[in-house]
Amino acid sequence: MEKLLIKRKQSYAYSFKRRFSASKFLLLMIIPAIVYYAVFCYAPMYGVLIAFTKYSPKKGIMGSVTDNWIGFENFKFIFNYPSFWTAFKNTLIIGSLKIIISFTSAILVALLINELRMRFFKKGVQIIVTFPHFLSWVVVASLFRLTLSETGGISYLVQQLGGQPLKFLSDGKLFLSLLFSSDVWKEAGWSSIIYIATMAGISTDLYEAANIDGASRIQKIWHVTLPGIRPTAILLLIMSVGGVLSAGFDQIYNLTGSLNNAVVLDSVQIIDVLIYQGTFGGGGLTMGQTTAIGLFKSLVGFVLVITTDRIAKLCGERGII
Amino acid sequence: MAKTKIDKLPLARKERPGPSNRFGGFDVVLFIILLIFALLIIFPFYYLFVVSITPQEIYVNNPLTLWTPRVTFDAYKSVFNDSRIWGGLKITLILLFGGTLYQMFFTVITGYALSRNNWVGKNFVMNMILVTMFFGGGLIPYYILIKTLGMINTIWVMIIPGAIDTFNMLLMRNYFASLPKELEESAKIDGANDVQIFVKIFLPLSLPMLATVGLFFAVGNWNSWYNGMLFNSSQNLKTLQQVLQDIVYTPSSGIPNPGKIRIDDESMKMAAIFFTIIPMMLFYPFLQRYFVKGIVVGAIKG
Repeated sequence: MEKLLIKRKQSYAYSFKRRFSASKFLLLMIIPAIVYYAVFCYAPMYGVLIAFTKYSPKKGIMGSVTDNWIGFENFKFIFNYPSFWTAFKNTLIIGSLKIIISFTSAILVALLINELRMRFFKKGVQIIVTFPHFLSWVVVASLFRLTLSETGGISYLVQQLGGQPLKFLSDGKLFLSLLFSSDVWKEAGWSSIIYIATMAGISTDLYEAANIDGASRIQKIWHVTLPGIRPTAILLLIMSVGGVLSAGFDQIYNLTGSLNNAVVLDSVQIIDVLIYQGTFGGGGLTMGQTTAIGLFKSLVGFVLVITTDRIAKLCGERGII
Repeated sequence: MAKTKIDKLPLARKERPGPSNRFGGFDVVLFIILLIFALLIIFPFYYLFVVSITPQEIYVNNPLTLWTPRVTFDAYKSVFNDSRIWGGLKITLILLFGGTLYQMFFTVITGYALSRNNWVGKNFVMNMILVTMFFGGGLIPYYILIKTLGMINTIWVMIIPGAIDTFNMLLMRNYFASLPKELEESAKIDGANDVQIFVKIFLPLSLPMLATVGLFFAVGNWNSWYNGMLFNSSQNLKTLQQVLQDIVYTPSSGIPNPGKIRIDDESMKMAAIFFTIIPMMLFYPFLQRYFVKGIVVGAIKG
């Protein structure tokens, strides 16, 4: 018995050695990746410790952790900080509305393109509607700001027709609608691609069977196409829930002109903007406090993904974890 | 084999024969809705382009200029005479070529290593990478890291932290893994070493996916502004996108006027926007299928 164990151990060590030398080249290839993820992903994860300290740049992270540890003081501070809860509320509202709007608009565009029976037009439309995804928010925000500005062409047209000048950039509520519409404008076409590909994979037998049953096109969409894309849709929905607390810093930063539009900024003050302004924009928060906000944000995001995943699994879907 | 599989991925449901395939009233409705959506996307580009070539006096009288009787390129002349634009273009081109090559190198070798079977510690590395897709340190620890590394106010901050993009890396990994295993075995029997197998067999077979990933990186670099905004304050290091922010977001843009012609600020801003998107507009229609392939393959496998 003992001998057998030793033998097995030896052979394991032997095969380990052999595997090691056989994979030398691959191990060499993976070293940069290990270094990269250690430095740029894991080092910042270690850095969240400053959320529990009174961070002093002179002492660095390590020094601050040993000398300036204050426990949950930063969290107590942000939970009593009114702007934090405003930002949290804004983020939840904007983030979840964005998810709902982009989810439905992508499926809608996919259905439209999938159902249309004009090959050539379809190709052209796909190229046009997917293009804006590849523009930066700098460009998209510039396009929207200039086209919809109070002195711009559309505003002029509205005034000619007897309306008021457009106040998209100076009215908080209208600005929110600009946020959602520019999101659809930029991303709906690109997000639809994945659904169109899934629809292409639905078995034609199902449609033929539906034809025999005398189903109309709407009925076929409802009973064949939509159930066919359901697993994909739910997968994408779960993944997007993780980003609900991000709510689009890039977009807001650019649509407000580098956060310079004080009139509307209140209504789009999201967590990321609070962190950015609190630290770099003269918001008067310490790095420990803004890190605490960031940590809170990732924790809530993580819990949201897990919860959505659980709910999806309870409903009999596949889930991601 | 895998190559043909991907090339043949249909983008839309095949037209089916039969009586229900006639072009009917339903199609007219679909056509009109899609046409409106497409026109809404085209409109800002068209409008901005027309304004950018319209003389000031015509635009002032009618801001909704959809057609111009007289064409002027004065706005473009001002843009071309602005040294900021060329400085930004220089930095962006460095990122576009240098950055893309750098990112491709590290992303592709990582993807390849993770696609091969059975090496010591593979699962550990894979999990270590996947965790980063769910957890992150957040902005401030990242900022402190960059500062500690001494990359503030250098061009490196816009290149080095982007070495590996996890999504693109997984795309490459899945593609390499989909190539038949026999390739590697038969090459080994023929006496090829590991480097040769990677460079001479797997890389040439992966050209479509390399193109896709390379294009994703190139677009990202062309659009780069966030890291520059966060970490660099020097004017010489501004990317084209940052210069565009400066021009468009300032109420009165500071572009110097050539000659004595008074040019409207708005049309200069629009010309500057056009300057930054024209390369994309020219190439996109021909490259669209590569982008689509990437996301479709990635989603089906991932």
